[in-house]
Amino acid sequence: MDAAGGEGEDFVGLLRRTGHIGPISPTGPIAAGTPGAAFPLTQATTILAFKFQGGVLVAGDRRATAGNTVVYDRADKVLEIDRHSIMAIAGVPATAWEMARVLEHSFQFFRRTQLQEMSVDGKVRALSKLLRDNFGFVLQGAGIVVPIFATYDSGADPAARLYFYDAMGAQFEVTDYAATGSGSPAVRGVLHYENKWGKKTLAKLAEDDAVTVALRALDTAAESDTATGGVDRNAKIFPVIKIVSRDGIATLPEKRIASLFKRSVA
Amino acid sequence: MIEEPYRWVEAIANRAEYIETQLAAGSPIVALGYRDGILFLTLGRTRQKLFEIYDRIAMGAIGHPGDIERLRMAAIELASTEGFTRSAADVSLRRLAHYSLSPVLKTAFEQVYGAPYLARLLFAEIGVKQENDLFLRLDYDGAIVTNNATFAQTRQDFGALSGTRQSTELMEKYLEAEHSAAATFERAFKLGLDAWTVGHLALGDAGVKELPGRDKILAERKERLRAAGIEAAILERDDKIAIRYRTLTEAEIRSALGD
Repeated sequence: MDAAGGEGEDFVGLLRRTGHIGPISPTGPIAAGTPGAAFPLTQATTILAFKFQGGVLVAGDRRATAGNTVVYDRADKVLEIDRHSIMAIAGVPATAWEMARVLEHSFQFFRRTQLQEMSVDGKVRALSKLLRDNFGFVLQGAGIVVPIFATYDSGADPAARLYFYDAMGAQFEVTDYAATGSGSPAVRGVLHYENKWGKKTLAKLAEDDAVTVALRALDTAAESDTATGGVDRNAKIFPVIKIVSRDGIATLPEKRIASLFKRSVA
Repeated sequence: MIEEPYRWVEAIANRAEYIETQLAAGSPIVALGYRDGILFLTLGRTRQKLFEIYDRIAMGAIGHPGDIERLRMAAIELASTEGFTRSAADVSLRRLAHYSLSPVLKTAFEQVYGAPYLARLLFAEIGVKQENDLFLRLDYDGAIVTNNATFAQTRQDFGALSGTRQSTELMEKYLEAEHSAAATFERAFKLGLDAWTVGHLALGDAGVKELPGRDKILAERKERLRAAGIEAAILERDDKIAIRYRTLTEAEIRSALGD
């Protein structure tokens, strides 16, 4: 035991020092003709998030694929990191779930050791650093992750906040909506249309209408993108939908999603 | 000269006396198992003395702030890495105290050329059921006292920590007589305050040696509450939430006091 005192080593640093995670992935110049992974990697696909009247809605379909193969049809890509933060993932789940785990523990570790909540900026940056550290693996053709991060900022200017990232770790705060993964072009189309020409802008939607838009967007993506599960009508598998607000995170019960789907989508 | 065995024993005895003197003024800390969880309570004026270690583990400490901080960090680091590499369910107070913290405290205490830890810690871990709750006191020399949670003996649903042995023992005697694990939060809170007061009355050379009467406890409690603030935290017995530790807000403390 090395009782170092609270001089502010972060949790990732602690894990590296104690050998619980490996070193930062190798970067450096890539040899010409680097083949990338020689086998199809498992990928999780379409996720979306947008701000509405009740906070930020984050939704993800349930499919994970490897090349042409459906690996899993009940994957959960919308992950709770702490009481007010959600990370939704598109990309390689092995890396993404590990990142989510590191992130979750990092926030708790900070709160417990420093006796205060990590700021929203600090949290957003923590995910950025994990992506940056992983970029060597991305260059080698393995382990790309493109997440969305939604949280509630109870600081000086209380509001729900929404960010998306690129694979290298750049963070972008969004005002309206974000979507990543293979089905995201279609989702972006639907969300842009709704936001601009729908009856109301996304920000003004009530919860039921917001859920309907999310379901329609995912269903539209699944129509053309085989890697997006959308809604499995036969097996009754519905997307995961969570809402971030001042009160924390609410997971929508499957029954409610099913009834809204039946009413306004199917 | 310290290489000679009897010199070493003498040095250790001196050191123990020195540490006891340093800790003697420490404000008592009470941990009480009640119907819906475990309540940690103490009175103080300045520093925070109750801390969250992990999802189901809390710690109260008296002693030097620097030493408390080192032990607290060590406990959090160990619990967090364990919880990360395995799972939160694998983080156990028993292992944390017996295999990690206790040996470190013992080594520091017995290496007479180095500085010992001036700290005494009270831990509690909330179990799935009340009979799994663990209360554990860890002393500056690595000694461990628990509430007999895993042995076939009468178990106690509380833990007490104070600056002197006399004070600690009197608090335990009081709680043995008065505390019931089926207590409501309000009852546990009031009893915690009383137990704290008993511990406080027993501190110092002029401290009481026998359990004080009801009137004396109430009068002292009133007096102390004027001078110091209550710090309280709970571990909730609610398996729907992962993080059971929660600091009580001022409003909650006021309402529990009946203000």
